[in-house]
Amino acid sequence: MTTAQVRKLKNGIALTVCTIAAFLGLFWLIFILWDVLVHGIGGLHLSLFMNDPAPPGIEGGGLRNAFVGHLIITFFATLIGVPIGILGGTFLAEYARGRKIARVISVLSDIMVSVPSIVIGTFIYAVIVKPVGHFSGWAGAVALAIIMIPVVLRTTEDMLSLVPWTLREAAFALGAPYYKVIIHVVYRAAAAGILTGILLSIARVVGETAPLLFTSFNNSFFSANMNEPVSSLTVSIFQYAMGPYSTWHSQAWAASLMITLFILVLAVLGRLLLAWRYGKRPTI
Amino acid sequence: MNDNNVKIEVKRLHFYYSCGTQALEDISLSVHKNTVTALIGPSGCGKTTFLRCFNRMHDLYPGNRYEGEIWIDKKNILEKDIDHIGLRSKIGMVFQKPTPFPMSIFENIAFGLKLMGIKKKTEIADRVEKALKDAALWEEIGDKLGNFALSLSGGQQQRLCIARAIAVEPEVILMDEPCSALDPIATAKIEDLISELTKRYTVVIVTHNMQQAARVSEYTGFFMMGKLIEFDTTQKIFTAPSNKMTEDYITGRFG
Repeated sequence: MTTAQVRKLKNGIALTVCTIAAFLGLFWLIFILWDVLVHGIGGLHLSLFMNDPAPPGIEGGGLRNAFVGHLIITFFATLIGVPIGILGGTFLAEYARGRKIARVISVLSDIMVSVPSIVIGTFIYAVIVKPVGHFSGWAGAVALAIIMIPVVLRTTEDMLSLVPWTLREAAFALGAPYYKVIIHVVYRAAAAGILTGILLSIARVVGETAPLLFTSFNNSFFSANMNEPVSSLTVSIFQYAMGPYSTWHSQAWAASLMITLFILVLAVLGRLLLAWRYGKRPTI
Repeated sequence: MNDNNVKIEVKRLHFYYSCGTQALEDISLSVHKNTVTALIGPSGCGKTTFLRCFNRMHDLYPGNRYEGEIWIDKKNILEKDIDHIGLRSKIGMVFQKPTPFPMSIFENIAFGLKLMGIKKKTEIADRVEKALKDAALWEEIGDKLGNFALSLSGGQQQRLCIARAIAVEPEVILMDEPCSALDPIATAKIEDLISELTKRYTVVIVTHNMQQAARVSEYTGFFMMGKLIEFDTTQKIFTAPSNKMTEDYITGRFG
């Protein structure tokens, strides 16, 4: 065989292996999505969103409390986690740029990203739930926020570091103080990336069960009070899937479908938003 | 040379980067009001470093050190307690690569105006229009101020950056190889613009292009290895340089 033929062969092998790997990954993804869709669609009734759970073993009832509770917890988690993450990332990329402390925090938050979420759940149990004396929505929101912070922080840091220095210099040259350079120029240049980080972090926590199990726990009744245990979809799915009733099972499937769709919509919305930001020129 | 016409007076300037290397050695020269002063020399000779001393750009990076004096309007801007923000709003700068901010054309120019504390919308709009007219850009893009600045061509982006710099009416405009990323037509437009600017501003321009220095400037300084080898009127430098090195460089024998 000539060298050219050997190269061609190698190329062909590499291409085949890559393609198979890609389809293997896609296969399971589609399998999971399909399975959730098939099982979940049967349980989707308006009552799922409108009614609170019925007593065990009795037909009917829904998961209104879990839907609302989940949204509230996620909302507050975002409210706590995103600003801290963005400000922290800004500190690392701008004010502490090149300093040792920035490297250390950066590495530590990389480690934080891979800490199992149940560890964060037990941690919050120890520092909030135990001293306060009861489970609460706040504890759940804080646990999720702690998972979000390193994700947002690292993406923000990376995205800000990608903004070329000449752009900052140009703003400085006009006599802008540093905070205005960051807010008006650097953030704008990195907006798409930071937004992606936020969406990713929300998608990351919205499907979490373990950190909520020890913190916001669950509530069979409707409650929007963050000082009490608040029901969440993921914990409800866990509880219902383990339960003995077939209505519970079908509701757990339906809730799984809804949460999957929610994450999907979140991801697609993010993409559309970015496309809009870059595709269409913003007006004054 | 009439002293009343001196806008910037540099006295025995030395500059050291944080890594310890001395980038400028004992530079003294005067920049005259309403003229273009060109700084030429081979790569790494310190001309850009010199230019960036005038608006204290080096202070953005820790450890850099100046020695000597730069007097602008009876004020030594190398003094420690100098207000960088105030200084930079009086000394505009245009960079080698166009640096439009990621916002609309209008907002790009309004950015500097808002920094000055101008709040009235009509005044901002008027001054944006004036700056674009002065930068010979109004006819081309006056009807699309809302467009994203990065959608402009390279030459237009660079003129937008010039418009942004002159909108705040600085006294001096520093230009760091403003045409090196542009094609000849865009370059010609910017050169015309530079000559026009001297009516109101004092311009210091770093250039690699000696023809450009000869075309646009009244005074020229030749730098080499961190030293100012020769400084004189452009005509003298390009026709009868007194230093052998200057002559060699001008005639293309090196660099």
